[in-house]
Amino acid sequence: MEELLEILNDINPDVDYSKEKNLIDGKVYDSFSIITLVSNISEEFDIEIGPEYLVPENFNSAEAMWKMIQKIQEDED
Amino acid sequence: MDLLTLGFLLFCIVLVIVYYLVPKAMQWWILLAASLYFYAMSGIKNMIYVLITALSTYAATRMIQSLTDRQKEWIKANKKTTSKEERAAYKAHIQAKRRAILVAALLLNFGILCTFKYLHFLIAQVNTVISSFGASPINDTLKLIIPLGISFYTFQTMGYLVDVYWNKYPAEKNFGRVLLFVSFFPQMTQGPISNYKDLTTELFKEHTFTYHHFSWGAQRMFWGFFKKMVVANVLSAYVQDVFANYASYSGITTLIGAFMYSVQIYADFSGYMDMMCGFCEVLDIRLTENFERPYFSKSIAEYWRRWHSSLGAWFKTYIYYPMAMVKWNQKLGRWAKQKLGKTFGQTVPASVALVVVWLTTGLWHGASWAYIAWGGVNGIFIIVSLWMETVYASWKQKLGINEASWGWRAFQTIRTFILVTFIKVLPEVGTLSDGFGLWKQIFTNHTIPRSFHALLPFVDKKMPLLAVMIGTILIFVTSLIQRRQPIRQWLEDHTNYAVRVLIFAVLFIVIVYFGYPASGNGGGFMYEQF
Repeated sequence: MEELLEILNDINPDVDYSKEKNLIDGKVYDSFSIITLVSNISEEFDIEIGPEYLVPENFNSAEAMWKMIQKIQEDED
Repeated sequence: MDLLTLGFLLFCIVLVIVYYLVPKAMQWWILLAASLYFYAMSGIKNMIYVLITALSTYAATRMIQSLTDRQKEWIKANKKTTSKEERAAYKAHIQAKRRAILVAALLLNFGILCTFKYLHFLIAQVNTVISSFGASPINDTLKLIIPLGISFYTFQTMGYLVDVYWNKYPAEKNFGRVLLFVSFFPQMTQGPISNYKDLTTELFKEHTFTYHHFSWGAQRMFWGFFKKMVVANVLSAYVQDVFANYASYSGITTLIGAFMYSVQIYADFSGYMDMMCGFCEVLDIRLTENFERPYFSKSIAEYWRRWHSSLGAWFKTYIYYPMAMVKWNQKLGRWAKQKLGKTFGQTVPASVALVVVWLTTGLWHGASWAYIAWGGVNGIFIIVSLWMETVYASWKQKLGINEASWGWRAFQTIRTFILVTFIKVLPEVGTLSDGFGLWKQIFTNHTIPRSFHALLPFVDKKMPLLAVMIGTILIFVTSLIQRRQPIRQWLEDHTNYAVRVLIFAVLFIVIVYFGYPASGNGGGFMYEQF
């Protein structure tokens, strides 16, 4: 989770990721931020995030992103 | 079936009555019958293409789903007895089959769309090339008539197909339901291009008649008729005149014509959406909204999130994200970060994806170089803004610009509206050189018109112009009110029943008096051609 928070803070350090639950629906992140975020997560965690995962529910909070990463890691096993 | 006729009105009335009389579980069957009747009325031959799209998508999604289920069952049964490598090999085997089905269905459906939309354009380009080598050109004798709404229903249906391939939701088992999703008539000819889950949730729920739905839906339909029949149709005659004769008009007259076009296309397209969203509201069905006061946008990128937003969402989901995330593009981004710096490097995958998105958006709108150039210009503005974001931020800081101030926001809105207008007219004048010619006329012909007729030579009667001006102001004021709450809610809060009846009675009289005679100028809708 710490690595993920580092990536998120690198993209936008002004957000309190422990509380924010509306990153996409609240337009905190735009489509360009999502591309940057997904690239960095894929590189850091060595996973492939397919376009099917690019839905607001998976990116609205740090917690949701963490769950998505874990699910992809499990599926790759 | 022409939407601005008494025949269509009668069709809607009969549909509403039957829809609410039948048992609730049968309501979607009534919608399906009405949709097929509506489409058959536009030409029975066209029905075959709708059926091919529905049938091929139904078959492909069912096959993809069955492979997905088979894979899940196999993994579950063999997880303990197989190695990770064996499971990966089985998944790859199933995935290859799923992909083959997806590609076949995409090729078939986009193949039909491209044949109708782009074959003549392609033959013309091939002829240009081979003629330059002295060869005799291909004789293009095909007379292809584009089936009504094919760009809209093909995109919508292919979105469903890809969603099932991506396992976003299971494939629909009932063919009738898929057919209704493909052919639902209020959105078939001009969108919105809906997501399967959103639209089917609305279509297949049980619908109860309420006065609130009826009243609000009817009000929105009225407003749509007003925008289309009074503002768009009257402006259509003026704009056509300017586009045909701009070379002989002054720069200021041509510029007014360009701004009139911006108002016309908004009143036309959003008017249609108001009519159809209003009608669906009467049926207790909520359609995806396609407009969010787009002319109040502060950048071109924002404008495209607020204008025809269902098309933008489609391109974002099925072209932009997959293109930006594809392996070679990600590799290119990493290389750019190392060689060109982090800030610029991380924009590279998105920029490459945006080039593809905007060239295809241009082609979606029409098979001509003018539309490709139009897409390209939109793309250039958006990509350059992305690259310059940090530079702009530092300029604004140095100049002490307060981004939250009213003045700065008004400047951004007006600047965006002007830019959007100039880009919009480019493909609409005729050829690409006509589009550039119109731009040139605006900037180089400095003649000052000395009379009303010299300023607006296309206006023969002043009353319709006055109606258009008042209509445009009404649309503007309504948009301002809608920033805070829906205009219908505002009317309920600030007026009594008698005043509301009076408002809509006046709208009705204005539609009949000014709108009906003008329907000959542009009886159809502008987005039907796409």
